[in-house]
Amino acid sequence: MLASFDTHLFWTALSSGPYWRGALTALELTVVALATAVVIGFFVALGALSNRRRLRTLAWIYNWLFRATPTLLQLYFVWYALPQIWGVFAGRWFTPFAAAWLALSLNEAAYMSEIIRAGLLSVDPGQELAGRTLGMTRRQILGRVIVPQAVRIVIPPTGNEFITLLKLTSLAFVISLHELLTAAQELASATFQYPEPLLAALVYYLVIVSALMLVQSRLERRFTWTSRTRRRRVRAAAVPAVSHDAR
Amino acid sequence: MAEVVLSAVNVHKRYGELEVLKGVSFEVGRGEVKVVIGPSGSGKSTLLRCLALLEPPDEGDVYLENERLSALGEKALAAHRSEVGMVFQRFNLFQNMTALGNVMSGLIHVRRLSKREARERALEILERVGVADKASQYPDELSGGQQQRVAIARALVMRPKAMLFDEPTSALDVELVREVLDVMESLAQEGTTMVVVTHELRFAHHVASAVLMMDDGRIVEEAPPDEFFSAPKEERTQRFLALVE
Repeated sequence: MLASFDTHLFWTALSSGPYWRGALTALELTVVALATAVVIGFFVALGALSNRRRLRTLAWIYNWLFRATPTLLQLYFVWYALPQIWGVFAGRWFTPFAAAWLALSLNEAAYMSEIIRAGLLSVDPGQELAGRTLGMTRRQILGRVIVPQAVRIVIPPTGNEFITLLKLTSLAFVISLHELLTAAQELASATFQYPEPLLAALVYYLVIVSALMLVQSRLERRFTWTSRTRRRRVRAAAVPAVSHDAR
Repeated sequence: MAEVVLSAVNVHKRYGELEVLKGVSFEVGRGEVKVVIGPSGSGKSTLLRCLALLEPPDEGDVYLENERLSALGEKALAAHRSEVGMVFQRFNLFQNMTALGNVMSGLIHVRRLSKREARERALEILERVGVADKASQYPDELSGGQQQRVAIARALVMRPKAMLFDEPTSALDVELVREVLDVMESLAQEGTTMVVVTHELRFAHHVASAVLMMDDGRIVEEAPPDEFFSAPKEERTQRFLALVE
């Protein structure tokens, strides 16, 4: 039997301001960091696939640097070391949220670039050839033909990254960002009750990830090229709920 | 003699150590249909790619209506590529566009036509190759023969000066070969300038103005089809014809 489960405390936690705000912060941070990472990662991927050796080397160094070092170290570095190196980051504008955004974007971009690179490579080279014979420029071929087709390949692993990133945002509590886990911890240490506050936080994570999975299956269907949308229904649960990422 | 549309002069092409074209000279005049045959690895496809301006020759020149194109940079070449239509063995239709979208893409992005005008012209061409009823289908939903006809339409709609076909029926199920050959035959009858790499010897016999035999990076024989098939001069051609017939 459960010794005692304070249902009231659980519901209070679930509906409390700090939880809401914490969850919102985590979600916001995940969305903006992932969006930024997709943009940076796209260009790193283009660099990695470039004919020019210098660009390939730069892309390689970027991926090496951000994947070989712990995310937590990168967070610390951006929050504590960067302002000491570069005065711009000592300003008031450089909030914990901004620091976490910067650190997580740069970190995630390294992973996204590999996913995007794989997506671009998965498109049949004949597609580019056909674009070239029509007289399309490289940029047109990339934008109109290759990227739309790569998106379909890139969506499922990006869903994975979203989930990983959402959980990584909880690391940002070390740079005093008030996110979901901070809320749970504060409530737990105030009440000396752990099950209720932690379970409430868990519920938030589950809700956010479930919503993501729904969005993802929509997106996948959107990028499946068939006029009969029902024919090739893509299963929603393409993203494993558990990520074995040890960043 | 018809006015020369597309020509290659002493073209050499190497991929690393391998010399795929060892000095090929070739021309096709307006309204002519030249069929290129030969064993795989003989350089047929590479020749087409050079003619389609997809591959710059390492040596020699490619001319389109007397303009020396092998001298141009990538940007200027891109513009000229749309003047030569190319049809591939594996169709290479844009998977993320409908049949209509495929045919419209060159008109919109390269020719800069309005959507309305592009659509009109594209539908007209799709009608001509007999797949107008499939306009809103994606490539995945079409048979090989239908896909290849859409691919022909996509090249044709640009009103190219010459059409190049790289084994256009080799990836098709036997029963679908005919519908594609029929389209190509009617293009030939309408006076389209064509270079066709194929193993369809009956098509070559029936439609070609001249047949060329390629082997080991060279053109070994060129003759009108009757002569080519009934009395080939070169021993290499005789051996090849004996093998495929």
